[in-house]
Amino acid sequence: MSATAEQIDADAEAAARRRATFRRYTRHPGFMIGAIGIALLVLVALLAPWIAPHSPTRTDLMNNLAPPSATFWLGTDQFGRCVASRLIHGAQVSLQVGFFVVLISLSLGTVIGAVAGYAGGWVERALVAVIDILLAFPSFLLALALVAARGNTLDSIILAVAIAYTPRIAAVMRSVVLTIRPRPFIEASRAIGLTPWKIVLRHVIPNALPPVIVVATVSAATAILAEAGLSFLGLGVQPPTPTWGNVIAEGQTSITSNPLISLSAGLCIAYTVVVLNLLGDGLRDTLDPQMRRNTGKLL
Amino acid sequence: MLFHVARCVGQLAVALVGIVTVAFFLMRAIPGDPALYMLGDFATVEALATLRARLGLDLPVWQQYFVFLFRAVQGDLGTSVVTGQPALTEIWAAVPPSAALAVSGMLVAVVIGVPLGVVAAVRQGSAVDVAVMLVALGGISFPVFWVGLVAILTFSHALGLFPALGASSDAGFWTALHHMVLPAMVLGLSVSAYIARLTRSAMLEVLGVDHIRVARAMGVPERRIVWKLAFRNALIPVLAVIGVTFAWSLGNAILVEAVFSRPGLGSTILKAILARDYQLVQAGVLVLAAAVVLLNTALDLLYGAIDPRLRRS
Repeated sequence: MSATAEQIDADAEAAARRRATFRRYTRHPGFMIGAIGIALLVLVALLAPWIAPHSPTRTDLMNNLAPPSATFWLGTDQFGRCVASRLIHGAQVSLQVGFFVVLISLSLGTVIGAVAGYAGGWVERALVAVIDILLAFPSFLLALALVAARGNTLDSIILAVAIAYTPRIAAVMRSVVLTIRPRPFIEASRAIGLTPWKIVLRHVIPNALPPVIVVATVSAATAILAEAGLSFLGLGVQPPTPTWGNVIAEGQTSITSNPLISLSAGLCIAYTVVVLNLLGDGLRDTLDPQMRRNTGKLL
Repeated sequence: MLFHVARCVGQLAVALVGIVTVAFFLMRAIPGDPALYMLGDFATVEALATLRARLGLDLPVWQQYFVFLFRAVQGDLGTSVVTGQPALTEIWAAVPPSAALAVSGMLVAVVIGVPLGVVAAVRQGSAVDVAVMLVALGGISFPVFWVGLVAILTFSHALGLFPALGASSDAGFWTALHHMVLPAMVLGLSVSAYIARLTRSAMLEVLGVDHIRVARAMGVPERRIVWKLAFRNALIPVLAVIGVTFAWSLGNAILVEAVFSRPGLGSTILKAILARDYQLVQAGVLVLAAAVVLLNTALDLLYGAIDPRLRRS
């Protein structure tokens, strides 16, 4: 066989593998529902200024607590603001929190967990001790205390929630790395003289990522819930900026006469968390065949 | 067993010093001058200096740390700047209602979550399994404070079955219990979803091992296999889940207390945050973290009692 024919065969095989992987994703109903659900939400958040029928912050006190109508799809709140527009714009805050919290806690947690798991010895013992102690602090409480001290701008909320969720990712990463460390390809990389940092960055982390990505997806959901909780307590992004949490809190004052305000905002949060969890479960099934047997969630 | 107990107590001591250390450095890592924050922008230089000296902020950080640790060991977590009372006394007063809520919530969660998880695992892939997992997904997806609002709307306003607000802890046991039903159910349901999911996966793992297969081949009745052989072995992961979810449910308890306007650690800490009473916030965070560490030590001791292998390792 000539070199080009071999090349063609190899290409065909790679293409077939890619198709098989693609099929594995598209045939997983949970993954598809999750992926499409998130895509829709991202679209809504990005196009919010064009989709929203009204400004989310324009008040109209003559027209407050109006029932749902063709102009105000979900009615208006106690300041006469369009509830539907507030929810559509609120998606921006929730998605930003979910995305950046995962970005920060995943980067920090992956490196800390990988170093702890790979280094072993006193480095591991020290890092594990710190992770364990941080895990003893209820993460919502930790985020609450950090936000209280750093102020409630979107940046500091993201940072506070990210710091609160990093230890969990680090703990998962370490436990995965412990199973990778004794495998032959790691020993081989050591044998050819790669430095520990290179081994960790090039071989350990990429191989340990699948289960961690699953946990990260679910963390995005918990981060969104945490932000909503902070907003509900009045410690989140401050009104008039709409967030789903503060729409629920503001709707609480008129909950008996206009329950739709708080109810619809809660459904937005639940929708986001459900699609993220479906996406996470789907990723676990497709990314990591070994975890497929164990169908419970990691956390 | 004695060795196991000694080791657990040793670990507890290390963990307690650990949380005090983390709380100290976390609060110090935050930019800004606490004295200026407490007294406001118009404070005189002398007043600031006096408060700094009183709070020990004029010492080097490592010295501050050892003073803080030394006092914490003796049960002194500083003084509330608002009331002038010792912070620990203030926090301690708020513990009973919160502890009652956390314990009842956990009880609800275990009573609902564990059987659902076991049933889902035994009937893996069946309609029951799918239904339980869907309900569990719903349970972890709705924000706990929102579920609280819906519960108030339904069971207090529409049906008039339970009171919506307050705790009424001094109006007798039954009244207090009546006030506890909704908050405990709301807190418990959210945690039960996690417990159900993790119990299911722990049971699935145990049901697949060889000795279960042998027991089946020998014709041991299924009920006996599930509860006597499998569940016993799944008990440790299930207890571990309770340990993990406890910290999480304490965070949720703050929100539940806010929704139902119940007195407790949640409202004490929130009030302290709004009043910029840092000593009190710090003490509250420490007490809650200590509760988590204590529960985990108790669980460690329990593991030793359940599984003799763990006493020696």
